[in-house]
Amino acid sequence: MKESLLDIVCCPLDKEDLELDATEREDGEVIAGTLTCTECGEVYPIEDGIPNLLPPDMREEEEAAA
Amino acid sequence: MDVQATYDRIAAHFAKTREYAWPEVESFLDGRRADRALDVGCGNGRHTELLAARADTAVGVDVSRELLREAVARATERGFDAAFVHGDAAALPFADRSFGVATYVATLHHLPSREARVRSLDEIARVLAPGGAALVSAWSTAHDRFAEAAPAGADAEAGFDTTVDWTLPGGETVPRFYHIYAPAEFEADVAASALELRSLELSSGNCYAVVTPAGDDADAAGNGEE
Repeated sequence: MKESLLDIVCCPLDKEDLELDATEREDGEVIAGTLTCTECGEVYPIEDGIPNLLPPDMREEEEAAA
Repeated sequence: MDVQATYDRIAAHFAKTREYAWPEVESFLDGRRADRALDVGCGNGRHTELLAARADTAVGVDVSRELLREAVARATERGFDAAFVHGDAAALPFADRSFGVATYVATLHHLPSREARVRSLDEIARVLAPGGAALVSAWSTAHDRFAEAAPAGADAEAGFDTTVDWTLPGGETVPRFYHIYAPAEFEADVAASALELRSLELSSGNCYAVVTPAGDDADAAGNGEE
């Protein structure tokens, strides 16, 4: 994801801002890292450049199904 | 199997069969432009691609990780610029009033309850900017496929839940949940949400609604009916 996406993405639960912690970047894109809600503290992973902003209960379902 | 797991399972094959944009979506987008545009339930990104040509920033969101992979691949192959986000239509991870244009095509009918479906329409209203518009479509009872399949009790007012199998090349079938909308019910769900219906059309067995945030436009156009 491009860092400029931070202007519009938010926590799916409380719609508050997210703070980026990038662990891998490539060609100006964030490939891996986390987005943390500045209000509730929920941590959302960025995997292969795609932020996973599913509500946490749906994320767990996905992991269980994998 | 929920819709997320279903589409993860069939993503590669499904994406191959979704090469072209729907003409109804092209008509809706004709002449529209926005700083930012959103495609909810973007699948393989065929409509996100249309949005990318009409907005500085096009964003596709989908519940299926595997479909998002297909969308990223399509964007790379076809050279369009879009951002893709893994998310739920009923809990959109976007700030209020972020988008001037949105498409929510052939996705609403996959949400498992009326409560979630109306909530997703509220979410579209929330993320649309003042003056923004969205196209919402869903499969309807008017589709040929359901002319005989509709159970007793399904009529012009009420749709029904069903399962539609997806057949993979090897012959394996994967069930997909659908709520098939009666047109009047579709209209009622839009009315129950924070969206305002601007036009409703039945085309190719789908309901298509052009919507705006409720209460919007009344001042700007000076002809609000609220």
